[in-house]
Amino acid sequence: MTLSVFRAIHTAVSPHSLIFRRSRASFCCSVNRPSSSSSAVSATPVSTVRIPLFLREATGTATISELHAWRKWAQTLVSSVGSKFEDADNGPGPELLCREIRWMLEDVVEANLDVVNRLSDETAFGKDGDVVRLRAGLDELYCLWEERIEKRRPFQYLVGCDHWRDLVVCVQEGVLIPRPETEMIVDMVEEVVSRDKRLAEGIWADLGTGSGALGIGIARILRNGGKVVATDISEVAISVASFNVNRYGLQDKIELRQGSWFEPLEDVKGKLSGLVSNPPYIPSMNIAGLQAEVGQHEPRLALDGGKDGLDYLLHLCENSALALESGGFFAFETNGGSQSKFIADVMTNRSNFSFRDVKIVADLSGIQRFVTGFRQ
Amino acid sequence: MCFALLKRSSIRHFTYFNLRNHRISSLSVIISSVCQSQTVEASFARSARHYFTSSSAVVTPKTLISVSSLAHHFSSLSSLESRKTSEGLSVDKILDQRWPILDESQSDWRSHAAAIALSIQVIKKRLKWPNLVLRAEHLSSEVTRSDIWENPDYAGKVSRDHGICMGKIKEVNGLEQELIEHVELLKLARDEGDSELELETMKALLRMRRNVKEKEIEALLSGEQDPCPCFIEVQAGAGGTESMDWAAMVMNMYKMWAQRRGFHTTVVDEMPGEIAGIKRATIKVDGDYAFGYAKAEVGVHRLVRISPFDSSKRRHTSFAAVAVIPILGDVSTHVVIKESDLRIERFRSGGAGGQSVNTTDSAVRIVHIPTGVTATCQNERSQHQNKAMAMQVLQSRLDQLEMARQAQLNSQLTQSLTDISWGNQIRTYVLHPYRMVKDLRTNYEVSDPDSVLEGDIDAFILSFLSASLDKKDNYLGNGTGSRPNFVPPLFLSCTGLGSMNQV
Ligand SMILES: C[S@@+](CC[C@H](N)C(=O)[O-])C[C@H]1O[C@@H](n2cnc3c(N)ncnc32)[C@H](O)[C@@H]1O
Repeated sequence: MTLSVFRAIHTAVSPHSLIFRRSRASFCCSVNRPSSSSSAVSATPVSTVRIPLFLREATGTATISELHAWRKWAQTLVSSVGSKFEDADNGPGPELLCREIRWMLEDVVEANLDVVNRLSDETAFGKDGDVVRLRAGLDELYCLWEERIEKRRPFQYLVGCDHWRDLVVCVQEGVLIPRPETEMIVDMVEEVVSRDKRLAEGIWADLGTGSGALGIGIARILRNGGKVVATDISEVAISVASFNVNRYGLQDKIELRQGSWFEPLEDVKGKLSGLVSNPPYIPSMNIAGLQAEVGQHEPRLALDGGKDGLDYLLHLCENSALALESGGFFAFETNGGSQSKFIADVMTNRSNFSFRDVKIVADLSGIQRFVTGFRQ
Repeated sequence: MCFALLKRSSIRHFTYFNLRNHRISSLSVIISSVCQSQTVEASFARSARHYFTSSSAVVTPKTLISVSSLAHHFSSLSSLESRKTSEGLSVDKILDQRWPILDESQSDWRSHAAAIALSIQVIKKRLKWPNLVLRAEHLSSEVTRSDIWENPDYAGKVSRDHGICMGKIKEVNGLEQELIEHVELLKLARDEGDSELELETMKALLRMRRNVKEKEIEALLSGEQDPCPCFIEVQAGAGGTESMDWAAMVMNMYKMWAQRRGFHTTVVDEMPGEIAGIKRATIKVDGDYAFGYAKAEVGVHRLVRISPFDSSKRRHTSFAAVAVIPILGDVSTHVVIKESDLRIERFRSGGAGGQSVNTTDSAVRIVHIPTGVTATCQNERSQHQNKAMAMQVLQSRLDQLEMARQAQLNSQLTQSLTDISWGNQIRTYVLHPYRMVKDLRTNYEVSDPDSVLEGDIDAFILSFLSASLDKKDNYLGNGTGSRPNFVPPLFLSCTGLGSMNQV
């Protein structure tokens, strides 16, 4: 296979060749460094959270030319892939993968971006012996990129974070990587609370919070007094979310509760100013055909919405009327198209007229992505 | 410490107002009794100097400024008489002598003095001196209007502009004063046979000669938008891979140029070619006077070489067009964009999206429907940031469009517009059959294309800037000088760029 050829090339040029002799059965670089973050304190078991690259201490070093060699090698891997991933399952093409290489360097090199710029500048090279400090060993970099290409491990899991809105949200296996589409829910909430100050000071719920992205995004736009209760059934999700909440200093504004959907919300029943959720909505039969990054790496618990993908969305519809206060706002993300039409119909016509102004909102690709509305 | 809340400009106004009305005698007393901290005093001292003094004025913390010297400087400033010595020596007189200007290494005081006087003349010309003075006088009367602070935005702008104008005037007057002092001192030293003093003064003259030469360059960048950061956009001409490769080379030239100057660049938008190079790309350039320099690059750049993509090794000519857009810092001058006029869309997103897709791509395109102007950004790491950056690009394009519109309304600028129209070919890079880069506007040329393509373009930029400012006699100028600030955005329409074979 072509990849092993490239590994051979790399092995020949890398001073770390020995490292590549070990078995590839397990993640070759599972990062088990002693966690340097004692900063994240919470009642939840934060110890399971893996520190993302950009937050690690820079303990490694490399010369510019070593990094350049890595980049060259990584790009060779990319060219060997060509449009294979795109053709197979609409996966990433070479242009995207090359950008990921650059971003990985941004996260890993402890220096200003000019160093990274220099790395992508062909002419400035040669034998650049300048040493830069790295947040991961060179050998780890090689392993990570190999996983990206060979195993299609998502880029965000490699570096341990996802840039989402103006946030950098930490993620790891077991937690869904927040999607760009979902950013718009925060925009919608922002618009609603700017028009109604009362909602801006109320309690909001984010059900199935995953990494905590939505909850954090919303907490940052609420006014003083406003709070978010974010729930998830997954223990990893709660740990990661709590890490993120702490990192943004929002411990006082966001309360994380582990449990299924509305179960942990008994005490705020009927008092919610807003309810947002991006529940699993992919129909079970589609799971097998998903893009490798998603189907083989992201948790099924976060994706599989049952037979039509509607199981959890319907559960949310059924319980929202009781959860929201009068005038409260809801926004759900859907799989688009017929799903959103169906959910909008349920909220409008099969809810004893509990809701008003039910709307379908398209995402930036024009897909009918969201259903929103207000409690009467 | 309530005083610390006052803007420095208000202290300036206070000072200025009092001086205008000849209520000078009590001024320093008031200021020193009111100022409670060193910093406020220092700040006053700065502003006072800013307004009224040449570099020779000494400011001490308690007495601040001798009132008589203030009055002297003030009157000489507003009347704009050239500085003269007791014997009537002035910069103009020095120029009239037509002393030969020799190489710096020749220690001839007349040559140094003549060179300095000439530089001062060039600087004044570049600053459009009579205009500048009129403007300063106008702004001075504006800032002293009693109702000015009723509109704080306007007042802020006026006082800022006023400060800038006065700063420039002060600086030039200071240079004139300094030259005359040196010349007088030198004469004195000679008369008295003080060879040590003579030597010292010679050294000072030489230092000044070098210093004013640099100031000449600074004076090239006196346009209102020159200090702004900017976007540089490069678009390949028609002709496929050949010109896309050339466009990438041009973009790379600017990235390296920016790096040399210590500017920070970020890629905003990049559309790669299928085989090599780029179809187009936009970078953002941050740094002092980024726009002032980069604006000189607007136009079409032409390359002649043996194509690396042509198996039969023919000679090719390719084109790349460059646009430069200032990013205006003053929000109040921005065109107001209505949200409802925008179409914001994600592009290159395929399939179902949402949970089914994992991608690090969140490219955003914004279309301003009424004008059809678009902006795209794909290099940021989140959709939100791509959107924000695309919005910034769109804002700058619309601002520029508006400036172009206003410039056209102002018939005086028609001339300069045709001069620098974006479609003009400005530079040719020949790699074969001989090697040369030549600027078609200034005829400036060098025989080492490699170093130019590695970003060594300052000489081209400066020669163009000086040519365009010095060309016409705009010493009495009324805005007819070429100020290539008003350039329609390149990507509104782009035709006539091609790539052709020269077999
Ligand atoms: C599609 S993910 C959304 C994550 C996050 N809100 C986001 O937008 O990135 C769905 C989330 O729902 C959670 N989930 C699945 N079943 C659940 C249940 N019964 N109760 C609560 N959360 C559940 C999953 O663990 C997952 O984190």
